[in-house]
Amino acid sequence: MTGLIALGAAIAVFTGIGAGVGIGIATGKASESIARQPEASGAITRVLILGCALAEATAIYGLLVGLMIVIRAL
Amino acid sequence: MDLNEELAYKIAFTIGPLQVPQYVVVTWGIMAFLVIFSIVMTRNLKLVPGKRQVVIEGLVSFLYKLYYDILGEKGKRYIPYLGSVCIFLAVADGVGLLGISPPTRNLNVTVALAILAILLVQVGGIQTKGAKGWLKGFGQPVPVIAPMNILDLFTRPLSLSLRLFGNVLGGVIIMALLNSAIPIGVPLIGSAYFDIFDGLLQAYVFTFLTSLYLQEAIE
Repeated sequence: MTGLIALGAAIAVFTGIGAGVGIGIATGKASESIARQPEASGAITRVLILGCALAEATAIYGLLVGLMIVIRAL
Repeated sequence: MDLNEELAYKIAFTIGPLQVPQYVVVTWGIMAFLVIFSIVMTRNLKLVPGKRQVVIEGLVSFLYKLYYDILGEKGKRYIPYLGSVCIFLAVADGVGLLGISPPTRNLNVTVALAILAILLVQVGGIQTKGAKGWLKGFGQPVPVIAPMNILDLFTRPLSLSLRLFGNVLGGVIIMALLNSAIPIGVPLIGSAYFDIFDGLLQAYVFTFLTSLYLQEAIE
């Protein structure tokens, strides 16, 4: 039973994949656009941080769900 | 399991029936430190600044410019609040360097900050547009979207508080695991990342999102 609970927590943390891919794509595009238009780097950085913060939220929710499962069970 | 022990909130002391948890005492400590620091650093300011004044002026104008770029002339008066929250969060996240568990690791602290932030956004909207304009703002850009705008009142503080809480808690757990696995050397790098870099970044993200919401509300 404990093994299954741990497995459930591990599956919840898989949300991190989505956040990683999302932040990776956003940062890649941001560096591309800064290379194209260096004078707009301030505005681009602002949008990038906003996007990263929103993409990261899914990973955080996954972490929280995983933690809740583990702390309840053990 | 020692992770549970690591995550438990310790009671610092009790006054009668009132239990004062450790994170409240740490928050008081940070507040006292910041107040004393501010008073000492801003004593006898001069027109021609000395070394101490140059440092503090640089810091203040850096924070000021950060939010002024987003808020513009209209939202100038909300900058001191945002700057104070940013400094408080940066110190509160970085307090892990001293071996104290950061108060932002507790959901109560982050929820309180997020509720204050969303209240500031609403008050800002009422102050600049009047109560009528503020109510009308829920029907922007089309009236059909009004339920979504009202839902935003709850989802915004939720995501603000959970983001900060989750990041700090994740850092604390990973640091606890690192400390028990490889106690020499490696925790130093982890601590530099989680306590300094991630702490500053989260402080910035929290106030940045607050100022974005505020800018939307006062426009």
